[in-house]
Amino acid sequence: MAVVQSVGAAGLAAPPVRTPPPRTRLPLRLVGYLAMLLAVVIIGAPMYWMVTAAFKTNREIYTIPPTWFPVHPTMDNFAIAWHTAPFGQFFVNSIVVTAFITLGKMLNAVLCGYAFAYLNFPRKNLIFVLVLCALMIPEEITILPNYLTVANLGWVNTYMGLIIPSFGSAFGTFLMRQHFLSLPREVLEAAEVDGATDLQALWSVVLPMSRPVLATLLLLTVVRSWNEFLWPLIVTNSANMRTLPIGIFTLFQQEGVTVWGAVMAGAIFVVLPVVLLYVWAQRYIVEGISAGAVKG
Amino acid sequence: MDVKGTDRQSMTSQRLSKRGLLGGVAALAGLPLLAACGASSGDTGAGSSAPKTTGPVKITYWGTQPGSPTAEPAVVDQFNKAQQDVIVNYEFQGAYADLANKLTAALQAKTAPDVPLLSDVWWFKFFAQKLLLPLDDLMKSEKIDSKDFVDSLYNEGIRDGKAYWIPFARSTPIFYYNKEAWQKAGLPDRGPKTWDEFSKEWAPKLKSGGVQNVYGHGDNGSYIAWLFQCVIWQFGGAYSDQNFNIKIAEPNGVKAGEFYRASVKDGWAYVPQNQANDFRSGLTAAIMGSTASLAGHENAAKFPVGTAFLPEGPAGFGCCTGGSGHAILSTTPPERRQAAMKWINYATGKGNPFFAQNTGYMPVRKSLLNGPEFQDFFKQHPNFKTTVDQLPKTKGQDAARVFVPAGDEIIGKGIARITTNQEAADVVFKDVAAELTREAQPVLRQLGK
Amino acid sequence: MAGTAALPAAARGRTWAAVGSRRRTREWLTFAAFVLPNLCFLAAFSYWPLLQNFYLSFVEWDMISPEKIWVGLENWQLVLSDKRFQQILGNTLAFTAGSVGATLVLGLAIALLLNQRLALRNGARAVLFTPTILPGAAIAVVWVYVFDPNFGLIKSVLAYVNVPGPKWLTDPAWVMPAIILVYVWKNVGYSVVVFLAGLQGIPRELYEAARVDGAGAWQRFRHVTVPGLGPISFFLVITSLLGSFQAFDIIRVMTAGGPVIATTTLIYQLYVEGFTAFHAGRAGVYALILFGVMLTLTAVQLRVVERRVTYGS
Repeated sequence: MAVVQSVGAAGLAAPPVRTPPPRTRLPLRLVGYLAMLLAVVIIGAPMYWMVTAAFKTNREIYTIPPTWFPVHPTMDNFAIAWHTAPFGQFFVNSIVVTAFITLGKMLNAVLCGYAFAYLNFPRKNLIFVLVLCALMIPEEITILPNYLTVANLGWVNTYMGLIIPSFGSAFGTFLMRQHFLSLPREVLEAAEVDGATDLQALWSVVLPMSRPVLATLLLLTVVRSWNEFLWPLIVTNSANMRTLPIGIFTLFQQEGVTVWGAVMAGAIFVVLPVVLLYVWAQRYIVEGISAGAVKG
Repeated sequence: MDVKGTDRQSMTSQRLSKRGLLGGVAALAGLPLLAACGASSGDTGAGSSAPKTTGPVKITYWGTQPGSPTAEPAVVDQFNKAQQDVIVNYEFQGAYADLANKLTAALQAKTAPDVPLLSDVWWFKFFAQKLLLPLDDLMKSEKIDSKDFVDSLYNEGIRDGKAYWIPFARSTPIFYYNKEAWQKAGLPDRGPKTWDEFSKEWAPKLKSGGVQNVYGHGDNGSYIAWLFQCVIWQFGGAYSDQNFNIKIAEPNGVKAGEFYRASVKDGWAYVPQNQANDFRSGLTAAIMGSTASLAGHENAAKFPVGTAFLPEGPAGFGCCTGGSGHAILSTTPPERRQAAMKWINYATGKGNPFFAQNTGYMPVRKSLLNGPEFQDFFKQHPNFKTTVDQLPKTKGQDAARVFVPAGDEIIGKGIARITTNQEAADVVFKDVAAELTREAQPVLRQLGK
Repeated sequence: MAGTAALPAAARGRTWAAVGSRRRTREWLTFAAFVLPNLCFLAAFSYWPLLQNFYLSFVEWDMISPEKIWVGLENWQLVLSDKRFQQILGNTLAFTAGSVGATLVLGLAIALLLNQRLALRNGARAVLFTPTILPGAAIAVVWVYVFDPNFGLIKSVLAYVNVPGPKWLTDPAWVMPAIILVYVWKNVGYSVVVFLAGLQGIPRELYEAARVDGAGAWQRFRHVTVPGLGPISFFLVITSLLGSFQAFDIIRVMTAGGPVIATTTLIYQLYVEGFTAFHAGRAGVYALILFGVMLTLTAVQLRVVERRVTYGS
């Protein structure tokens, strides 16, 4: 489709030189600081709430007016959360499942993105739109048919069942394709002149220039798969195969008591590893989103 | 980006990339290993028949951890330890709706369990498709006296004279009130006898006693429809009869609807964002809520919690049952059915006092109810006794809520239109009745009516 | 390889005639090798369910019964003539327009303000980006608490200035803005980061040239910034739109589509029909309507971009 080609073409402009902006006038800088403060406070407040609730007793959570700082801080909620469900096992499973899904997805995204960006094939752009269509298929309509497929393969309650269905990549392919299209062609052509195969070109030329975008994709993929809840719930049966988000779910109750502090504590268990990963990868990420999206 | 820089970068990255490549390949090679260690003992197949052994029979039970995350698994544990004939493999499957959804998929995939825990609005779906076993013969062979079950709880699971659904985690609505607020308003320490007494005489006193809200309605669709079922009965109406004739739009039903509408308009009732939270923090002096929340309310509230029978309406008393129960799927092979019944017998019998006392769900057997297990408990928890005393006056639910697909949601959204949007009850219930009638058609067809 | 070196450097997209057919075949095979695995996974676990739903929209099936009854267009008629359908469509459009619009506008505004050498900018960026990596259900739970009209965060803040807050989640007039607010809260950080990068990528010279030509701040914004951000906006708009149409977790936990159907969107109704009422047919109809809307919007986007590129910017 011509439209899709042109999207790629739009990204073929020479990469802009990034010089730091000149120091702007004081009033604008003040507004900038104000905006920054406001944004951080508004974004940060609910997260602060969530963290403090994890340290409050159930009774204190129901206090009016609500307390900004726990009056009687307690670690009970963390203990309750940890012992209600086998969080240790959940951690292990989450790590295994996320690691493999990320590996599979990234492999597909890189290979597929490379192919769309650099190789020719009849009706290539139609196929690309086909891949894009996968982004328009919500989880709710895939979940039950996929359960049947997985059951027929004998993969219910197994790591295979948790991992394989997520191996396909649409968002990642999109991102990598856009990014690859924006890379300078000269280097690639030099490699081709040297007689490199596509795989060699990919490994020694293209990927090294894509580290930031790869880091970005890595983080986003890890996050999405780490927070997956619906699919792991339906494809697993026993506690020893389940993942972290299901752990929080067991803390909710239908007709009985929900200990909100424990729910928040459980949520912190789930969120903490990802936050740590993000903090570590941050400098690559920010660079990465810029590099990936600017040119695409 | 100049080429030289790229070259230098690419050389280091080449080394890194190669490492990465090797690492990735090695990792992916680990996948088949994972496949091997993935399958757990939890894997169950309803299809294959077990070889005849003298060892214990293994069955799979799907539960939802109702009332507390630990009570249900504990009962399974107790059962497994108390005898050698059956081993129950317990699998938590989410909330009632999640379990039901997964069950439909599992039935198609032939990975269904032996005993599922089905709630009041879900079990009939599977019954109508002839997926549940009639349990009377099995109960007899396990020497279970069906008359020992609390009548209203047990009868709800009977169709065509046979039992399909055995009470496990059962609850009823009850009237909760804030004893402190009651005191401040100078009210006697009991629940109101009738809605009139409550709304006309007590509400003003409570208001002048300083409460923010007098009465909080239910806060989400299915729950609202459950609670209102009692009210519509108290007004002499009903959602439907057992033959699916929809009655909600009849005059008494409309009267009950208008009562709800006026309650919000006149200002003595409101629709809270979270009914339980508001009650526990003292924001509303009274609510109608599930008996299963009793322990939670008592623990979290800063005031003494009072319980009482539901207030009566113009046509007298009305109170429905709720919660979930056990069934045995027809896909369970014969050699496991007896074992399944043994589990159900324990869960709803010997295991019931422990379960009920740790969650707030009702006792389901009369013999245990009158026995020391519960009588002692009542002495320490008088509020719990109230819920049990009300039990004999309860009745099984109307077909329209529990047997029509999504009937509870349809009714619940209708009531929300009345209380939140203040629409006229007759108009709303006419819509609701029409939708219920339409949705009941497939069920009627399945039942062969 | 000598043949390749003779080609113009810019045209890696070489014409077929100039390429040896063996080389072409090899390229096709490589393409297939790289793309086929991905397509297989997507086919098995995404396209196949979609096709199934397409089929299911023409049958009556309660997901348990062994037989599916063909009813032709009856499900479609039922859904489209339901008097709630219009409101559901309206809710979907309101939610999408509100959340995507606010995310992009706010994102750009904050990015513009942050596009100066400010201290602690990286820290601010980190905080802004964090909601994006939190699980949707956890966010929803926290925000239910934040919105509580009696002891929520908003209520406490408003209490300081003596302003009575609305009953966010139980008032039909306020509930949609509340949901949009949560969604924007979750996603604005991502937009800020992307826009920031984009702004930094616009060459200074263009601004200088415009200034020299006498263009004022607004004109510089219109003629340099906006076109310069074109490619990013495209990527963001597409992914944001598709994401917002499928936003479900937050609505499910916070309002369950209510009060009544004030926050029921197409995806939520799909869930109600499929997972609560077990109407596979009607769920299929909603699935296809949703897919059709998303596909149309994406196709339109692509056309717009093409026109912009064709006629220059």
